[in-house]
Amino acid sequence: MTATPAGFAPSSRASGEPAPGTPALCLRGVGKTYLKHRSLVEMMVRPFRKAERVEGLVDVNLEVPRGTLYGLLGPNGAGKTTLLKILACLILPTSGTAEVEGSDVARDDLAVRRAIGFVTADERSFYWRLSGEDNLEFFARLYGLSAAGARRRTRELLAAMELEEVAKRQFMSYSSGMKQRLGICRALLHDPPVLCLDEPTRSLDPIAAKHLRHFIRTRLHQERGKTILLATHNLQEAEDLCQRLAVLHRGRVLREGSLHDITAGLPGREQYVLEVAGLARAPADPRWSLEPEPRADGVVRLAAAVDRGGRPLSDLLQAILASGGTIVSCSRREPGLQEVFDQMEREGVR
Amino acid sequence: MKTLGILGAFLKRDFLVEASYRTAFALQFVGIMMSVLIWRFVSGVVKAPADTPGLDGMDYFAYVLLGLAFFHYLSSALGSFSSKIRQEQTTGTLEAILVTPTSPGTVVLGSALWEFVLASVKVGIYLAVGWAFGVAIRFENLPLCLVVLAITILAFSGIGILSAAFIFYLKRGDPITYLVSSVSVLLGGVFYPPQDMWPWLGALSKFLPITYALHAWRSALLKGASFRDLLPDIVALLIFCVILLPLGAVAFRFAIRKARQEGSLVQY
Repeated sequence: MTATPAGFAPSSRASGEPAPGTPALCLRGVGKTYLKHRSLVEMMVRPFRKAERVEGLVDVNLEVPRGTLYGLLGPNGAGKTTLLKILACLILPTSGTAEVEGSDVARDDLAVRRAIGFVTADERSFYWRLSGEDNLEFFARLYGLSAAGARRRTRELLAAMELEEVAKRQFMSYSSGMKQRLGICRALLHDPPVLCLDEPTRSLDPIAAKHLRHFIRTRLHQERGKTILLATHNLQEAEDLCQRLAVLHRGRVLREGSLHDITAGLPGREQYVLEVAGLARAPADPRWSLEPEPRADGVVRLAAAVDRGGRPLSDLLQAILASGGTIVSCSRREPGLQEVFDQMEREGVR
Repeated sequence: MKTLGILGAFLKRDFLVEASYRTAFALQFVGIMMSVLIWRFVSGVVKAPADTPGLDGMDYFAYVLLGLAFFHYLSSALGSFSSKIRQEQTTGTLEAILVTPTSPGTVVLGSALWEFVLASVKVGIYLAVGWAFGVAIRFENLPLCLVVLAITILAFSGIGILSAAFIFYLKRGDPITYLVSSVSVLLGGVFYPPQDMWPWLGALSKFLPITYALHAWRSALLKGASFRDLLPDIVALLIFCVILLPLGAVAFRFAIRKARQEGSLVQY
């Protein structure tokens, strides 16, 4: 993906542009409550019982400056897709306000839909018996392009996403990576300033995922200056791509900031893996806990949980050396996403 | 102008999808031939005299041929709005459509358009086959029929949009399509004149748009009726339009808002 076809170059958005300084995305106190579906039997047994409420989102406050690659990080069911669908005008918030480029999703949904490109993780969102080209031309007309404009834009985007060769092939014959790239083409048809990507690498193999991440970072964000809201449950992906993150869990924003801010600010211990040779006895101290795992070659693998701050780790290493051990390797283990959420919940971090 | 372009895009999409199922596409027309043949033989057995109440001097085969042909419009109006939306829901394309700036109303209209075009082609085939079997069709009255047809499509579309609203909200179990479709076949004069039913049952046919549409088409195409002759039917159809179209639009708007509130817009 090296060429930059003319239509893929940055375009100016003169008309209807919001005031300078307006954040691309702004959510204030956004909440979404769903009524839990009741079965027919339940309705017959307890006809007057109110349907149970499920909190999809609770008091979400976010501000995403223009041109930011922003991550929504959370496990399945955290509320990421609900949030994206609110921004794409598919769902109305129960409380609070959400704005895209200064337009409110509830009051001015037309302006919002013009300003946003939504890439769903669902591969079924195209017509499988139509070619990629026919699919894009159809959606281009729905985005208000003329027949000639739709054809031109489709060709440009297919070239930019390296899908020219398969343009005439039926969508159903595309690989997962091609389908995902066609989804991005569709989101770019009307050249929106904001892109919402819902787990774009979910169904891709590692190589295709790596290519797509590179494309998002370089072509969409760096070259085009798009504001990108990327929902993912992949900590590594968030770390690779996003300038800022919001950690969502059970509909709440637990933390917001850079990945470093989010993990460094966590209370509790840092995780390390040490490989030590000649260790007779693991040194004990209340500031750390060690789980030794001897290996056949005489080296002991130590899973260490150490108090934060630097000093305890230094003391642990010195204690190992003092007890006659030789440190073969020492690496920090980044906490997994689930550990981050568990820890945040345990500690009541907000 | 832009809306016309969007409707054209829907038409092209549906034609391409339909044409990709070549055998099924061709079989629809074979089905029409079979249907006409069956009713040709049935009418031979029935041998209803021309002075049968409601036939008004028409041959029974000609009567039922037009009933069958134009029932396609009712089926399209009733079925296409809701079934296309339901299809988009289940195939996952509705979400991608509804995030575009195209209004849901245009989406529903565009989705139904192909069915109307297809229904028109089928009606043409019915008439051509009927003519080949000796039915005296007054083709010079076709322009007048097109006027009636336009009003009829509008009236039926009100019902279709209402059923689409049910699909947006209830997903399945749209009661409109089933109810109107069955009652129209039973009472509307598709296969037999309402005058030949029990009087109290036949009287209910006056509350159905298909009754007036079929009466107007048959009068124009089989008896060469003039615009003045058709005026009572046209006025009745316009009244249905005035009632059903706003009702459908209001119900549709309500259903979309409710589905967005409940987060069920693209669920199925």
